[in-house]
Order: sequence, then structure tokens, then C-alpha cells
Amino acid sequence: MREVTRSFLRRSGAGQRQSFIAVGPLDLQIGEGEFVALIGASGCGKSTVLRLLAGLEEPSTGQVQINGLPPRDLQAQHSLGIAFQEHALLPWRSVEGNLRLPFEVADLTATKERIGELVTLAGLEGFEHARPAELSGGMRQRVAIARALALRPKLLLLDEPFGALDAVTRRRMNFELERIWQEQRPTTLMVTHNVEEAVLLADRVLVLTQRPGRVRKDMGVPFARPRSADLMRTAEFHRLVDELTADLETA
Amino acid sequence: MKLRAAIYPAIGCTLLLAAWEVAGRTGMLGRSFPALSQVFHVYEDAPRRALLVRSAIATVGSAATGFAAGICLGIATAIIAHLLPLLRGGLDRLAVLVNALPVIALGPVLIITAGREDTPAALAAIPVFFLLYVSTGVGLRAASQQLGMVMTTLGASRWQQLARVEAVVALPSLLSGMKVAASSAMIGAIVGEWFGAPSGLGLVVLNSMQNFQIPLLWATVLVIAAITLSGYGLLSIGERAVRSRIGECDA
Repeated sequence: MREVTRSFLRRSGAGQRQSFIAVGPLDLQIGEGEFVALIGASGCGKSTVLRLLAGLEEPSTGQVQINGLPPRDLQAQHSLGIAFQEHALLPWRSVEGNLRLPFEVADLTATKERIGELVTLAGLEGFEHARPAELSGGMRQRVAIARALALRPKLLLLDEPFGALDAVTRRRMNFELERIWQEQRPTTLMVTHNVEEAVLLADRVLVLTQRPGRVRKDMGVPFARPRSADLMRTAEFHRLVDELTADLETA
Repeated sequence: MKLRAAIYPAIGCTLLLAAWEVAGRTGMLGRSFPALSQVFHVYEDAPRRALLVRSAIATVGSAATGFAAGICLGIATAIIAHLLPLLRGGLDRLAVLVNALPVIALGPVLIITAGREDTPAALAAIPVFFLLYVSTGVGLRAASQQLGMVMTTLGASRWQQLARVEAVVALPSLLSGMKVAASSAMIGAIVGEWFGAPSGLGLVVLNSMQNFQIPLLWATVLVIAAITLSGYGLLSIGERAVRSRIGECDA
């Protein structure tokens, strides 16, 4: 899979007549099986980039293509997965019921084995029948990510997936995501403002500038997988984090 | 704590009813204000009891018919307005207009068009339609934006979005609308009967007022209140059950 994604976006602000450029011009390519993290200050349009890839917004100019197809086509093929900061689970359904949703939408039968696999992937054995209200914030977020992976999407989109969690849970969830991601290795774009999270998880980190959002830096992360907590104590890890943080501050 | 919460209202009600009895017996509020015991004597009198039962069946029948018709129309219109935003503004205004028509002015028109027998049901249907249109519309829009974006990204059709998410999220609001509408349906049916329906509680109210049958008038009013409150109570229980089944919809 060769993903070519390009978007030049011109959006008008709320209530304002004159249009301003929120994102771009922006060129962005993600290789198959690559985990790319997009970081930037709030309001730099990183979520807009994600919504463009999800087909939730149309680019004003330019093209967004995934595997040579526009995102709308991938929606129709049910080959996109997405998870947001808010878990957005159906509160009246159990963990299993929520994991079944993508299959229902795609008119596919969710086999017991596959649902079981996803429950295991989310690390929620024993909580199959629990409702979201009975789960902790971290557990809900894992269900949301497992739901995004249910149909083995060609592209996984994560928008600040751990933004609403406390620092300790967030750290733990980072390693959980690393584990979950290793199992399927989907092509992934994660939007975050947490530099450590980005370096820990991604193969490549992109720094977006403020208004209009453009790629200021494109940095490869050379660490081997699986990555562990030890990695976070290495000098190299800290050097990358410091460098990206500096970029973020001047972006 | 729970016991105390039940005791105070009970004491309050008893005091109120006792005051009523005293006021009626002493005649301090005039002849049109009979003692409660006198009103209850009406229910012991077989012919008048039969009249009340017969009339109640007629009125509840009209109210239920109007209630059902108003619910169906209100929900259907709300769904159309939800799916076709282009029509929403117009339908909103139409619903407000229909609801703004004074029942007293509308009655004679309905007598000519719908007939004496169907006027109570028609007048019951109008407020129910409006309340259900509003409450269903609010409910359908209550689903979180992120949930909508997840569904769209997963490739859900508009119909799947409606059936699997929005319709369920709308249920509590819909039942809350029905709860309020139940009383409105009774009022509409009774007012409708004043325009010359062949039978019904509204007719008994009118006749007993004109013939100065004060205890019968009060007895009828109490029956109406009991029916209205039971409808409200039953639907409140339903609403609470649905709310707890669906869970917090702030997700």
C-alpha cells in the first residue's frame, strides 16, 4: 500500500466572511504499516488533517488519497478505523456489543472468535458484558481503539486518544497501544500534543506549525520494537523529545 | 430518609383533604364547594357510577386515539426534519403554527370537517403532535458529535446512523415528551367533547355544571385528574426505565 495524502485547505472561520488557511499547503505521505504521529500546538489544525483523512471534511484544494482512493471510498469499504479523545462508545451496549458495531455497520457477521480476539486485544477479558459506565477511562479508551481495529482497517486514525486520561494512566495506555499496534500493525496516524507519547509510539513524528498548519519537521524515530519503559530512560529518547519540544515551541 | 420523604407529602395531602372536608361541611366557601365525602357519595350511586364509567371509557378512547395519532405524526415529522435539514425550518414553523391555533377557535372548524365524534380525538392529537415533534427532534440531535463522526468514518449509512445511534439516544427525550403529552391529550379530548360529542367526561362536566349537580361535577373532575395522573405516572416509570437502560448519553 502506498499512501499519498495531500491537502491544501482553505476554510472560513466561524462567522467570518474572509477565508483563512487553517491547514496547508501540506504534503504528507504515510507508508504502509507505518505509525506516524502528528504533533503541534492546539489550534494548529492537526485534528483537521485527521478529519480530512477520515473523509469527515473535504479539502478546499488539493487531494487526499489513501491507496489511490479518496477517503469517502474507504469509508464505504469500511476500511477506516477511528478513535477520539472521548471514547464515543454506545452507553447502552456492553463491551462486546460496542465491538460488534463496526461489523453491523459493514453488514458482516461478527464471529465469536473475532469478538473474543478484540476483547483480548483490549485486555478486557472478564469485562465482556460490562457497560461503558462500569469501566474506567482507560478501559473505555481501549474498547474504542479495539473497535477502530475491528475490521482490520487500512488506515487507523487516532485523535488525542489518551488526552482525557491522567498522566499515570496515559503512560500505561501508551504501552498498551504499543502492544495492540504490534499485533495488527495497521497504518496509523495519531494526533497528539504529547511529545513523549509521539516518540514512544511512532516510526515518524511530524511537527505542524501554527496557522496555517504546515509540516515544519519530519523526524524518523529509529528505535526498535517492541519498545519498553527502558527506552524512555535512554539519552537518545530524551534527545529526540527535547529536539521536538524545542521545535514545537518555536513552531 | 426514604420514609421521611414519604411521610411529609402524606401529611400534607391529609391536611389538605381534611381542610376540604371541613370547608365543605361548614359551607364556608359556598354551595359550589361540597365536602369531599359528598363527592365520594356520587361513586356509590350505581346509575351515576355507570355514567362516569361509560363517559370515562369514551373520553379515554378519544384521548388515546388522539395520543397515538399525535405521537405517530410527531415522530414521523421529526424524523423527516432530521433527515432533510432543508425542510426543518419550515416544519418547525408549521408545528409552532399548528400548536398556536386556539383550541376554542379550532373546535367548530373540526366539528364541520371531522364530525362531532372525531373532534375530541383530533383536538387531543394536536398538542401531542407538537410536543412529540419537539421532544423527538431534540432527542435525535442529542447524540454526540464524536459518535456521529465514528459512525461516518466506519462507513455507516444515514439510515444506520439513525437506527443504531440517534433513534436510541432519542428515546428518553421522546418518552419525556409522551409523559407531558398524555395530560395534553386528555385536555384536548375533554375540550373537544364540549363542542357536542355524544358522550364523554367533558359532556358530563358541561351538563352537571349547567344543571347545578355540584357533587357530580366534582366527582367527574376527580376522575379526570385520576386518569391524567395515572397516564403521567405510567409514562414517568417508562421514562425512568428507558433512561437507566440506555445510560448516560453524554458519551
